[in-house]
Amino acid sequence: MSESVHDRALQLIAQARVEGIAEAHSTWLRAHLDQCEFCTEHAHQTDRALRSLRTAVIALPDGLASRTQFRVRLRAQELREREPKRRALWFTCAVSWIFGVATAPYVWSLFQWFGQRTGVPKMVWEVGFGLWWTIPAFFAVAVLLMENSRRGEQADWINQGS
Amino acid sequence: MPGPPLSFSTLMSDEAKTIARGLQKRDPDLLDRLIEQYQYRLFRYLVYVTGSRERAEDFFQETWIRVLERGHQYDGKSKFEAWLFAIARHLVIDWQRSKKAQSLDTLTDPEQEHPLQLANESELSPLHQVLSHETEEDVQAGLQKIPAIYREVLVLRFQEELQIEEMAGVLSVPLSTVKSRLYRGLEALRGALQGGAVL
Repeated sequence: MSESVHDRALQLIAQARVEGIAEAHSTWLRAHLDQCEFCTEHAHQTDRALRSLRTAVIALPDGLASRTQFRVRLRAQELREREPKRRALWFTCAVSWIFGVATAPYVWSLFQWFGQRTGVPKMVWEVGFGLWWTIPAFFAVAVLLMENSRRGEQADWINQGS
Repeated sequence: MPGPPLSFSTLMSDEAKTIARGLQKRDPDLLDRLIEQYQYRLFRYLVYVTGSRERAEDFFQETWIRVLERGHQYDGKSKFEAWLFAIARHLVIDWQRSKKAQSLDTLTDPEQEHPLQLANESELSPLHQVLSHETEEDVQAGLQKIPAIYREVLVLRFQEELQIEEMAGVLSVPLSTVKSRLYRGLEALRGALQGGAVL
């Protein structure tokens, strides 16, 4: 029997266990295994190895589930408590932005008038107007960044423990 | 008149959708049930991936916190366990990256320059210690010889019985990579349990 025949058999043995093989290949493999001791032993070894893997048992740490459930419930409570504040923040930002857009022409005139009255350079009062208009968005972004960094710090426990 | 018979896949899909709806609402009772139900499988996966019982415990808890926080991202179209393992795996990879600025794959792939060193051969590895009381000696010794990247695919395929497509989703790699790791892992496992050379 040529070496390539054994190679094909070994390949089919693995393929049958990993992803399955077609009936024709299966028939060929069975016929080959009937007459080849080496490949039969290889198939048995593979099956024994997989059986050992499937039956390997890992003991669960005591109270792992209950400790985890406790932590998850605490975190859920935190998230629930934070939710109304977050909604209020978004609502305030949205109202503020809508109000800002609606009143932009008037506020522009007001800044212009104030600039002319006080002799402030045009560039300064224009920047002032821009800031007044974008402050709600900056505020929301700052709050979100602060929240994210706080969450990052909370997750650091996992790195500290190792 | 009786309705059409319910297939297993329909039941699975209904279960996944129920889970997705519960996670959207952050239902605490559902989370408690999921933690109970998947505790063994998730812990076993984490032990095989990290090679350490203590780390597996940490990642176990952190995985469920992520499930709570990102539950809205699970759409119920895939198996819940595949999504769960993907979250756990990403946590482990993030931790590995933050620790050594390398990915799990580069740390554990024996074809890379610096494969993960699990333990000194003269000492019991953490994985060996975990398994030492529960399994046969040759299984313990064999498993600890297999690189983590192959242990991981073996666990997902032959213990968790995930489909290769589902594994590709969990591992975020192409199908061909999953298959190649499986073939190599299977050969490594067979060789290891025969006391032969491992990859």
